[in-house]
Amino acid sequence: MKKLLLLLMWCSPVSAFAQGFQVNLGGQKQIAMGHTGTGLLQDGASVFFNPGAVAMLPSNSVQAGISPLWFKSTFNPTGSNAQYSVKNRVATPFNAYAIWGPKSAAWKLGLGVYTPFGGLTDWGHEWTGRYALESLDLKAIFIQPTISVKLADFLSIGAGFVYNHASVDLQRAIPLADANGNPGQARLNGTGKGYGWNAGVFFKTESGVNVGVSYRSKVKTNIDKGDAIFTVPSSLQTSFPQPNTFSSGIPLPATLSLGLGYPVSKKWLVAFDANLVGWSSYKALAFDYATNTTNLQDTYSPRNYKNAYALRAGAEYKGIEKVALRFGGGYASTAVRDGYVTPEVPDANRWYATAGVGAKLTKQLDLDFSFEYEHLYKRTQTNIETQLSGTFQSNVYIPGISLTYHW
Amino acid sequence: MRSLKQYLYISAGLLALASCKPEIQTAPVTKGSADFTRYIAVGNSLTAGFADGGLYLEGQMNSYPSIIAKQMQQAGGGEFTQPLFNADQSNGSGYLKLSGFTATGTPITTQVNTNLAVRGQATIPGFGNVILYTKYAGEINNYGVPGIKLQQITYAPYGNLNGYFERLLPGNAGTNNTTYLDFVTAKPFTFFTNWLGNNDALGYATAGGASDALTDKDQFSGLYNLTIAKLTASGAKGAVATIPDVTSIPYFNTVTIDAILAAVKAANPSVTTLYVNARQTATPPAASYQARPATAADLVVLTFDTKKIGQPVSTPFGNLPYGLTQFTPIENQYVLDANEATLVKDYVTSYNTTIKAAAAAKGLAVFDAYTFLNNLKANGMIVDGVNVNSNYISGGIFSLDGVHLTPRGYAIVANEFIKAINKQYGSTIPLASVSAYNGVKFP
Repeated sequence: MKKLLLLLMWCSPVSAFAQGFQVNLGGQKQIAMGHTGTGLLQDGASVFFNPGAVAMLPSNSVQAGISPLWFKSTFNPTGSNAQYSVKNRVATPFNAYAIWGPKSAAWKLGLGVYTPFGGLTDWGHEWTGRYALESLDLKAIFIQPTISVKLADFLSIGAGFVYNHASVDLQRAIPLADANGNPGQARLNGTGKGYGWNAGVFFKTESGVNVGVSYRSKVKTNIDKGDAIFTVPSSLQTSFPQPNTFSSGIPLPATLSLGLGYPVSKKWLVAFDANLVGWSSYKALAFDYATNTTNLQDTYSPRNYKNAYALRAGAEYKGIEKVALRFGGGYASTAVRDGYVTPEVPDANRWYATAGVGAKLTKQLDLDFSFEYEHLYKRTQTNIETQLSGTFQSNVYIPGISLTYHW
Repeated sequence: MRSLKQYLYISAGLLALASCKPEIQTAPVTKGSADFTRYIAVGNSLTAGFADGGLYLEGQMNSYPSIIAKQMQQAGGGEFTQPLFNADQSNGSGYLKLSGFTATGTPITTQVNTNLAVRGQATIPGFGNVILYTKYAGEINNYGVPGIKLQQITYAPYGNLNGYFERLLPGNAGTNNTTYLDFVTAKPFTFFTNWLGNNDALGYATAGGASDALTDKDQFSGLYNLTIAKLTASGAKGAVATIPDVTSIPYFNTVTIDAILAAVKAANPSVTTLYVNARQTATPPAASYQARPATAADLVVLTFDTKKIGQPVSTPFGNLPYGLTQFTPIENQYVLDANEATLVKDYVTSYNTTIKAAAAAKGLAVFDAYTFLNNLKANGMIVDGVNVNSNYISGGIFSLDGVHLTPRGYAIVANEFIKAINKQYGSTIPLASVSAYNGVKFP
């Protein structure tokens, strides 16, 4: 008869996909040139940067590259001098392309497999924001068959179809301590898929400046029947039924790019890119659990992202025999409004600098190195949903290597 | 492949670079105009770290003064020693633990009574039996004594009447004659917190207004000002806390008249009214009690056994069901009725006026626990991604006794003290991480 209401507050699992979540590591030559590539004809990475340029590429090729990514972030809670840093974990964005077409033909086929979105943040189980997030490991692998046609010597177009295979693994603590004082754990782990397309146009102007315009569509990715694993004290297990599954959707945003490439001389090539990323499509992150209880409700976390832009520039110097030196940099604006910054990707406006070396190992084999340093501006925020309040400071270090065989 | 080797060196260098993590420049920690060299905590059970109906080692370790002191140490604070129970007597007085839930979701608590620090019992003439705990003889910075009222701090024999105080004193039970106020001020100190006064209202309230009395307002004022005068006599700075609205705690808001009535109706639809033995007026001092229909303004204590409702009670009119007739009302000690609640609130408001005035006169920091806990009850709050509120168990802040706090609750209180201290003295004591502290533990 003494019936007491037990309302266990289980706040929603939240995740955030900032602009930092768009990784843009499309190809090592292009990374080294400040992520420019929309107006360039470097290699098979045109499948990613501008499918319209593929038909203009001088050779057929296969290539593969990898860019191990260290995301270093530190959090200082408001009013405290404590500092919490993400664990030293390495994300592995990669890219692989194949380009083929008869030498005499006006068309080429391309295939790209690359990772334009992803995030790996692991704050561990002990940090002050553990009830907001412990770790997020999110990967999106795009597979993109592409066709490109040269309409004239100065004009080519192209388009690709995108299939996205995504996986997410999100962990956070639940503020329900067991008899030993250990908090509960939630883990959302699943895979999903989505579809999209991209298209581009490539011009060679009479001035020698090459102009590229490309558009990558939004890729709405759905995760169905992911595992929702809750570890809670045994007396509360009925409130967090197991096994359980969740579904969720992520609108990976569209990107519009305008790029210029200009061979200043035989030795020098310069390039500029501007991107507009349609993050405003990301309104909310919602999780729908297959089995709900009073304590385990579906969640809806507003995100209200805004569109973001990036400005990029780069150059390549080929004055040394069989070696290309590349460098570049740029600026990218954050997609995350004030009040919505989360530890998943503590996004902020950022600048970055890149450099790289390309070596011609043989006539047909290129080895390219790239390195990128990104500096995110310090951002002091109180999250509306979790009230996690403090200052984030993040840097990103991305070395990369690729091998290209062309004929 | 000499060049490849060079590239490997470059890569190794890059990896080394990648291992460095960003450092955030934080403001230097300063003590402002205060001196935290020797901090003492004066107060009652809340100060001692009492939780779950008992004083035990884990609660002591998570007392708000110990959390404050740990943070203060970064601002020049000295060592902070508490009169801890030792490890093999870590369960101290014993305490409640949550052992499960009934099918309808009612929490089941059990008493932990192993590894106690009880050394015996003393009979104090004219008072009764006092449980004695293992003596503590070391340094003390945390002087929290569970149960103590402000009213008792100048009463010399009090050390014989309260086992928690007795354990801190050198003399044998029955022979102590040091007042609490003299005891805490015997050794020099540079900073203090004072959260006395809760029991002057809470004792009356938790007894349902039946067996305890509210401390007279003028007496409270006199003793409080005396306390502050003595604590500041040697120039020590400090912080004080106001007394919470006792009706904001889950002890009075968990078992409600509405909930009891709904359960009775479910079994017996003809029942429409519960009866309580209630105070006739809200004016002090003495008042008569009479049975009347209960309303939502009557606060039932957490410890009331609802199984009593409907049990036959022998009356001049025959056996009648408990709580369901005006001849068999729920007894006074189980209900802080509407008039009693009004009376308590009035006293608490008066006490708090005294506390704030005394603090203002001496330039002390004030943690307004009254306002803070009332806000928490009305709105809840979110700290570091954790939703907390004043609900019993699920709220995460109040321990199983419905009066004292959980480690998470004490951490929140510690931070509120720190904010008040920083504001008053221009210090920058860093806040503690609330998410490192637990709410109620579940089996």
